[in-house]
Amino acid sequence: MKKILIVDDEKDIVETLSFMLKAKGFECICAYDGEEGLSLAKSASPDLVILDVMMPKINGYKICRLLKFDNKYKDIPIIMITARSQDEDKIIGEETGANEYITKPFEFSEVLEKINKYLA
Amino acid sequence: MNKVFLLFNDENAKNRINSLLLEKDDIELMSAYGEIEDILTQLHHFCADVILIENGYENCEFVIRQIKSNSKNQNTQIILLLNKHEECSFMNLADGFIEYPLNNEILISTLQSHFKIKKSLDRLYENNKELSRSLYQLNVLYNTSSQFTGTLNTSRLYDIMIEAMEKTLSFDISSVLILNSDGKPQFNLNTIHTPSENLVNALKIRSVLNFRNELKKGILPVFDFNNIEIKQNIKQTRSNRVYGIETISYDSLFAPIKIGDEFFGVVELFRQNPFLAEDVTCFQAITHQVALPLRSAKLYEEISKTNKKLEKLEKLKSEFVSIVSHELRTPLTPINNSLEIVLSEQAGAISDEAKNFISMAKRNIQRLSGIIEDLLDLSRIQTGKLDFKYKICDITPSLELLQKTFLQVANEKNINIKLDIKEKLPEIYADIRRIEQIFSNLVSNALKFTPNDGEINVVADIVDSSEINKDDLVSLTSPLSGKYIRISVCDNGIGIKKEDIPKIFDKFSQIESSLKRNNGGVGLGLTITKQLIDSHLGAIEVLSQETCGSTFIVYLPLIDDIKVFEMDLSSALVSFDEVGILKLSYDKKLDLVDGLKENKLLNITKISKELTIDKDDIRNYFLFVPKISYASFEALCCTIEEYINKIKQNECDIMLSKMHSTKDGSDVLKIMENLTKD
Repeated sequence: MKKILIVDDEKDIVETLSFMLKAKGFECICAYDGEEGLSLAKSASPDLVILDVMMPKINGYKICRLLKFDNKYKDIPIIMITARSQDEDKIIGEETGANEYITKPFEFSEVLEKINKYLA
Repeated sequence: MNKVFLLFNDENAKNRINSLLLEKDDIELMSAYGEIEDILTQLHHFCADVILIENGYENCEFVIRQIKSNSKNQNTQIILLLNKHEECSFMNLADGFIEYPLNNEILISTLQSHFKIKKSLDRLYENNKELSRSLYQLNVLYNTSSQFTGTLNTSRLYDIMIEAMEKTLSFDISSVLILNSDGKPQFNLNTIHTPSENLVNALKIRSVLNFRNELKKGILPVFDFNNIEIKQNIKQTRSNRVYGIETISYDSLFAPIKIGDEFFGVVELFRQNPFLAEDVTCFQAITHQVALPLRSAKLYEEISKTNKKLEKLEKLKSEFVSIVSHELRTPLTPINNSLEIVLSEQAGAISDEAKNFISMAKRNIQRLSGIIEDLLDLSRIQTGKLDFKYKICDITPSLELLQKTFLQVANEKNINIKLDIKEKLPEIYADIRRIEQIFSNLVSNALKFTPNDGEINVVADIVDSSEINKDDLVSLTSPLSGKYIRISVCDNGIGIKKEDIPKIFDKFSQIESSLKRNNGGVGLGLTITKQLIDSHLGAIEVLSQETCGSTFIVYLPLIDDIKVFEMDLSSALVSFDEVGILKLSYDKKLDLVDGLKENKLLNITKISKELTIDKDDIRNYFLFVPKISYASFEALCCTIEEYINKIKQNECDIMLSKMHSTKDGSDVLKIMENLTKD
């Protein structure tokens, strides 16, 4: 079973997202702030990370950078969730190195499509 | 009284003349005595009108030369006494001669006429002196007036005023009482020597009283006497001389600095030598001259302050909209997700009716996020943060995508969306995402306002700008020339009232009517559409008749035909404020073309008087406009270094430049800011 880490300080988003992903047969682990998210990403060896941009403690950009510039974790696909569609360049660009991004509010089918690109 | 100085060897002749001239009441006589040096000193002090000198006088030629070379005596008439038929080598040095034997009448009449000549020369000399003084004052006044027009800085204006007075009126003391830009009183004292404390206080009191008198009678100055800021400037700080309180009795000139009802302050000058009539005129001219630029400076300051405040407010507003929109999206996400979970029946089965309602909720969430997206776009446009990624692209696939995107909604209303691309559309220089946004806005509007079983036609072809009816275009922001792709979105819906057409591009224009008609949206779509089209140097036209449908026609310029080169910069500036973006294209003749295949247009988010250009949004190119007062401009190709030189030499008014490796735009901006300061 593929393991997906969801990191978002919005508990409701985490809950709905993990519910849907579990129903689709993924194993989900959840983190509710940046610090927790980063340590889980390193310790729980997820197959994919869904990461919110705006979070307390460490924001999503930083976590993404820390993972993508670390040889040990750089191959874990990262999908970022943002409230600004204009951030595309920043997220996907060299600066952050995320694989995909989705804009709030998102359709579940959209998320699934992006996950399947990496975990199918 | 006419003064006559006698230089004689012959005592007889001297006595004779003495007794003859002593009878005359209007003649003062003096005879030389002593050594040659003494005589010259006597001559110098006496200031004779006429000197009678005997040819045989000791050192006669030397004495005459000495007299003539002394500026104090330069008008003094020298009459040489000669023996009959005597020749004299230095006769031409003298102003006249009389021959022996002396004839009383001839002597007297010669003297009289030379007195007259002396007087006339003196008067001429005085007039000349006055004339050159006036000329000097006039020159200073002229220079000052041009200096006055060169600045809008209040304290600099006062400095220029004092400088001008110093040059023309050489005062001992000037005291100026004004209100500075913060409305606080400021007392400026310029003196040659150090003033005593008593004098400073006395001058201060005097200025305050003058200030008060110049304000409307009975009104006290609006400031506290003890709280006046004093600025002293002493020219000769090293001299021991001190201006005591008695200096206040020097001759003085006073004037208020005012224009019409507007009163700025008072100025008073003190001088040991009395002021002349011309001095008064000059003084008044200067105080008068300074008042006008002072008023402009005051207005300028006020406007600048208001402007800054407004800019801040506008920014705050846009930021607020942006933050709120972001915040709105976050709660929308779990709402949407939850509905999706329920709808997918993964949390348990639900009835068809429940499904129906949940779907309704989901649709409305989509609508809500559309509105938020519009609000965000608008706030980005207004703050100049809207990104454009211009590329050469083909818009045909985007048009074809329209049918697919709106298929479901169109089917629900049984509306047929037809696409008719009449000829192969060439590539254009555009941000394809924005182009898609433009047409999806137009088609979604058409869908909204077209009843069931209607028809929407999207037609694309190519036209020349000469075929475009410019009167029908909606507030054109860039001039049209060359060829355009014309895309019309035509529906047979409810149409727009003629008087409403100009209003539909206004922000929230739909709000009023949406109270009556439930068509969805807040009416930002067309506002955004218009601004996106403007950003692409395009144009939009609306044809509509109530109940018979509407046609929106969009014109997008073809690459090869973008050569708008003369552009009214003042109107372009207006559009900056509204759109935040200026598009410029270039002339084919320029070398620039070669490097510009990929970047035909450039964006400038803002050019204000202070010349702020948002570097990020220009990305690859810079355009600099040091002087925005030009109605149109030309461009030429040069390196940044060359450009800086051109600016320094005032040869170049505008610049279009690629980002430079050695110096980039911000360096040039810095250099230019320094230049404009000077």
